[in-house]
Amino acid sequence: MKTYHDIATDGGSNVAAQVGEQAARLARRLAGVRHVVAVMSGKGGVGKSAVTVNLGAALALDGLTVGLLDADINGPSLARMTGVLGQPLRLEDGGVQPAEAAPGLKVMSIDLLLADEHAPVLWEAPTQRDAFTWRGLMEMHAVREFLTDTAWGRLDVLLIDLPPGTDKLPNLVDLLPALDGTLVVTLPSGVSQHVVGKSIRMATAVLGTPVIGLVENMASYACPHCGREAPLFPTGEAAALAARHGIPYLGGLPFDPRLSAAADRGTAFMVEYADTPAGRAFRRLAEQVRTFLNPEHPFAPSPRSSR
Amino acid sequence: MKFLCVACDEAMTLKETRGPDDGSMTVVFACPACGHAVAMLTNAMETQVVRSLGVKIGGRTTPAAPMEMVRSSLTTRREGAFEDDRPASPATPPAAEAGSKCPFTGMVNAAYERTALPWTAEAEARLERIPAYVRPMVRKGIEQHARDHGYARIDAAVMDEVKGLFGL
Repeated sequence: MKTYHDIATDGGSNVAAQVGEQAARLARRLAGVRHVVAVMSGKGGVGKSAVTVNLGAALALDGLTVGLLDADINGPSLARMTGVLGQPLRLEDGGVQPAEAAPGLKVMSIDLLLADEHAPVLWEAPTQRDAFTWRGLMEMHAVREFLTDTAWGRLDVLLIDLPPGTDKLPNLVDLLPALDGTLVVTLPSGVSQHVVGKSIRMATAVLGTPVIGLVENMASYACPHCGREAPLFPTGEAAALAARHGIPYLGGLPFDPRLSAAADRGTAFMVEYADTPAGRAFRRLAEQVRTFLNPEHPFAPSPRSSR
Repeated sequence: MKFLCVACDEAMTLKETRGPDDGSMTVVFACPACGHAVAMLTNAMETQVVRSLGVKIGGRTTPAAPMEMVRSSLTTRREGAFEDDRPASPATPPAAEAGSKCPFTGMVNAAYERTALPWTAEAEARLERIPAYVRPMVRKGIEQHARDHGYARIDAAVMDEVKGLFGL
């Protein structure tokens, strides 16, 4: 009797070819994107989205074309933080035009599609019971559609803001034709670093993805009046964590209450406060990212072209 | 998944698909040698898993439309999120008849939305008290409850029956 492997086709649906075509469409869309970078942590609440927005803004202020993809399907925040909530989406060029935010960021998030700011993500189904069997697949397919069907145009960098969880990076790696770098965000706290260490291990030892380095958010407090920085927590542990895993420690980002205030207003902190201790830290981080992605010409944006 | 005719030792080929009906798809395979046919019947979870993969049982005949899964499956979607969002005109045929750009998803949605049950004004008013983002899901749940019990319309009595379930 024949076995599964003796039979070449699946009887007519050709599911393998359909999945292959999905991957091909994604590759065609990302052909205009020079670098894809995932911002991850594994731990929630460390400020991944704030880092994504302001790193993106710092890169844009340096003249690069930057896209931001909110891969946090159940906890999206990029649209609110960049002030694009409610922007209608246009279908054009065989894709959906992303929302646009200052200072020249292209943003795609499921938040742009939700009924109101308090609406959770619910998928059409005959029953919401036993949804654990398919909800994760729906979320992954949604991320695939955002990557594939957003008319990103030509980008120097696409930053993907991952949700918490060590399983999210492997899912993304499965989708993407190539991931150029992973930026890991942690807090100075031991609990945060305990979880973040698992994510670093996943990114390096398990997946072998290129890791740009570890950035420590809220590493210090910058006085908004005099600019003097002081540590918020005992220092050195994040650098030790990075060293243990053999990845670069990219330094700390100072806490500045204006960061969250700007996010609440829907403006990237970097737009208004680039020349502050936190702003300068984001610019340094942007420089480190550029150098990682393009070591010979870190300041060279890609040739601009119309969409 | 593949199907083998044991008697002929031949791979069976897809013959037709039906449904989904209440979340269940019927996929018929037949042996090209002897004609023996079998039907694979999916439960709601299995149908949803296929749907979430963005593939079409029976093969695709049209290219995927941009963000078709998110646009067709997100219950809590904002009307007008896309500039081409337009309220359906009475002359517009249902998605399945119009040839949805995603045939499988289109079939699923058409099946989920299929209902001929009328609502009384009082029942509609009570439904309006529910937060907008869960209203479509609750509406379908009530209609399903009514179908399961053989009711011809949704009225105050039906709403009383389900109020414990949906907080009406």
